[in-house]
Amino acid sequence: MTHIVQIDEVYKDYPLGKVTVNALRGVSLDIGAGDFVTIAGPSGSGKTTLLNQIGCVDVPTAGRVYIDGKCTSELSEKELTSLRLEKLGFIFQTFNLVAVLDVMQNVEFPLLLQGGLSKDERRTRVTHLLDAVGLSEQIGQRPNELSGGQRQRVAIARALVTRPSIVLADEPTANLDSETGDRIIDLMKTMNKDFGTTFIFSTHDHRVMRHARRIIKMVDGQLASDERVQPESTPA
Amino acid sequence: MRSATLGLILKLAARSLWAHRIKSAIVGSLMTFGTLLVVFGTAMLDSVETAMSNSIIHSLAGHLQVYDANARDELAIYGGTAMSGLDYGEIPSFAAVKKVAERIDNVKAVVPMGINVANMTRGSELDLAFSKMRRAYRDQKAEEAKALIPKVKRLLALLDADIDARTKVAGGDHLQELKGQLTAVRKARSDEFWAQFQRTPLESLEYLDTQVAPAGGDGRLMYLRYVGTDLSAFTKHFDRFQIVRGETVPEGTRGILINQKFADRRLKILAARLLDSLEKSRLEDVLIAGNAELESKARRLKTQSGSISIMLSPKSIAALKPALNTILDQDNETFPELLAAFLSIDDSNLKERHRQFYDILAPHLDLYPFKIGDIVTIRAWTKSGYSRAANVKVFGTFSFKGLERSDLSGAANLIDMMTFRELYGQMSSAQRAELGAIKSEAKAKTVSRARAETDLFGGPESDGSASDDFGGAFSEFEGLTLKRTKRQAAQQTYSQTDIDQGLTLSTAILLKDESLVDVTKAKLDAAFKNAGLELKVVDWQQASGIIGQLFQLVRAVLYFAIFIIFAVALVIINNSMLMATLERVREIGTMRAIGAQRGLVLSMLVSETFMLCLVAGGCGAILGISLMSWFRHHGIPAINEMMMFMFSGPRLFPDYSAHHIGAGVSIILLVSLLATIWPARVATRVPPIEAMRSAD
Repeated sequence: MTHIVQIDEVYKDYPLGKVTVNALRGVSLDIGAGDFVTIAGPSGSGKTTLLNQIGCVDVPTAGRVYIDGKCTSELSEKELTSLRLEKLGFIFQTFNLVAVLDVMQNVEFPLLLQGGLSKDERRTRVTHLLDAVGLSEQIGQRPNELSGGQRQRVAIARALVTRPSIVLADEPTANLDSETGDRIIDLMKTMNKDFGTTFIFSTHDHRVMRHARRIIKMVDGQLASDERVQPESTPA
Repeated sequence: MRSATLGLILKLAARSLWAHRIKSAIVGSLMTFGTLLVVFGTAMLDSVETAMSNSIIHSLAGHLQVYDANARDELAIYGGTAMSGLDYGEIPSFAAVKKVAERIDNVKAVVPMGINVANMTRGSELDLAFSKMRRAYRDQKAEEAKALIPKVKRLLALLDADIDARTKVAGGDHLQELKGQLTAVRKARSDEFWAQFQRTPLESLEYLDTQVAPAGGDGRLMYLRYVGTDLSAFTKHFDRFQIVRGETVPEGTRGILINQKFADRRLKILAARLLDSLEKSRLEDVLIAGNAELESKARRLKTQSGSISIMLSPKSIAALKPALNTILDQDNETFPELLAAFLSIDDSNLKERHRQFYDILAPHLDLYPFKIGDIVTIRAWTKSGYSRAANVKVFGTFSFKGLERSDLSGAANLIDMMTFRELYGQMSSAQRAELGAIKSEAKAKTVSRARAETDLFGGPESDGSASDDFGGAFSEFEGLTLKRTKRQAAQQTYSQTDIDQGLTLSTAILLKDESLVDVTKAKLDAAFKNAGLELKVVDWQQASGIIGQLFQLVRAVLYFAIFIIFAVALVIINNSMLMATLERVREIGTMRAIGAQRGLVLSMLVSETFMLCLVAGGCGAILGISLMSWFRHHGIPAINEMMMFMFSGPRLFPDYSAHHIGAGVSIILLVSLLATIWPARVATRVPPIEAMRSAD
């Protein structure tokens, strides 16, 4: 298995008021392509900070992060943005859809930024994805007309539409009821299987963790454990 | 930028404008108002400027005015901040200016001009009656002169009573003087005097003029602002000029043309002026009742019955009495009482009385101090400071088309260039010859300062021969009263060469193509410089003095208002954009995280402003155009004389052009984009990590 993400002795400090928080304290980690990884740990353990390093929205204070072989510390702001656009997909805890755009346009947004596809190609791909996440009916609706689960499914479609190598999900089920949360996880698993996309998500929800193939636990900015597990089979 | 991305950006911009529609509406209305103000304000101002320049250029100033570069004051055709005493310098030879200016191809006409103020007196009623009699005798019209006798007798009776009353309160030297006057008046009222008058009318008139007239009091002093010019060229090239009564001054003839407005406002008898002013207020729907100023005028009008009855001959009184009795439907004992009743004006009878005054009373009165065709004496202070008089014939009255009711354009009267120069203190060649004759007759000689001692007290070189060098414009002999009768002086003629050869104070230049004013001005400047003439060329606005400055002030006020509006708009747009940006930090962060570059965020914000701006600016421009079109169709009435002048007539029909709209839209666009700089900077600095923060 090739390593799509390589993390080498990463430290991350950030100021919080007058004190400095040592969010990451020497984390080293490799993640293979097509893996389905959960980063677990209590609040403040550094899982979101780690995810931000992988998501190229932040760079480490010390140490190196390689995404698809590229060192994020050596890239310019512009190059980092391009890297995010081409290689990464994000699913946010609070969905983060663009309120003024409808479902179709929200999903299409990254494709428009990439600009590689024709209008028809874009439409076909978006329609297929929305079909896959079960939102064919809601294609013309605005985010505020959708339920939480529906919004998160739009977010998943948006994260997957560019066929990224890695999809990052920061507590994707935190704002959802357990039943909807389960269905979201199932959906991501399906995508993982169908497209071979690497999924990395942070959570402290045990019901979510049991679907992962690899569970990394963090405590106080350091790795506490890293184990491979046999995921539970998808319930019907 | 790819069209799909552009489409997305525009869509995002339009949608977020709609999402914040209240805010957009507020900012939009501000932009609309700003644009409207610019479009309407500048178009209006330009229209007024065009109209006003029409008033000024084609009535008096010409497109350009040329005057002495070393003048102490700036040329102010309508007067400057000081009432008078402005020194515009002088141009010694108009011919030199004319020669240079006429060579410039865009120059249509070159007209000399000099502004000055003279005074003239309207004699007392006695003076007028005596001079009428004298004229009648001189013209061998004894019957006409005799017809005046009853009027003179009546005036003498009134004067007698007046002096008699004054002796009762006077004392000392003044009493002695009054008693002397009373004796003279009583002698003139005696039957013996009038018996003698029949035999030797001229001697008796001499007695009346010298002994009696001084008791009748001084006349009224009137100031007369005039422009000395080449009248033929003036009337030909200033196309606003029109004769109201009489005729224009024939070429080569001395004469004065009185401004009709000036005559009505300043020269007419007081009763007529009061009545006119009341009637004017009536036409403006202002009632006398309750208006302190008009009530006071009405009261003053009533007191004029005395002075009017003095002016009337017994024959006129006899004719008027029954007419007034019929109008008033009453039978007053004395004529002054009857007249006072006639002149008792209120809102109900004003219109009727105003008409009757001119229909019935005016034919018996001399409304103006002179009639067309009369020769008047005007006095002015010459450059070197002594008073100088000239007799000129009044050929007619004039007005400027469209400006008939404007006081400002009514201020100037027109006089021929030769008389102007005489009053200014420059002698004509004829006068110089006459002076030369007097000097040689008196064996006078020119004594230069250097040779004064030898010449005056004798010396070896003194040969007693007079120098004939009278070349200078001024001479110590100038103040001499030259023996000429009124009539002869007024009838002197002159040629075009006479006009061209002498001095002028300024020169008006009219152009063929008005749009080339600046180019022609530069050409003239260069041409005068080449010719070695130290002259200044100014446009109508500078030349018009306080009026032009006032207009500049109005423009400055508008620009200031526009500036304030846009400064406020800038702050408000900036603020609301900043607020909107801060509200959208998470959304912007999300876009950045997903892979949107900073440029896209910037484009999004700029497009938002741009769109709002186009819509609001468009609305503002459309509103401005509609407003202007409405005014262009209906016109804006001038509510006072000043506006009449600015509008170049009773109504202004303003116009607008593409550049007013362009200016409005560009200014609002510029301001909005300026206002977006800071919020856009904030927005592009939003880090993608903002997307990761959990919602508050």
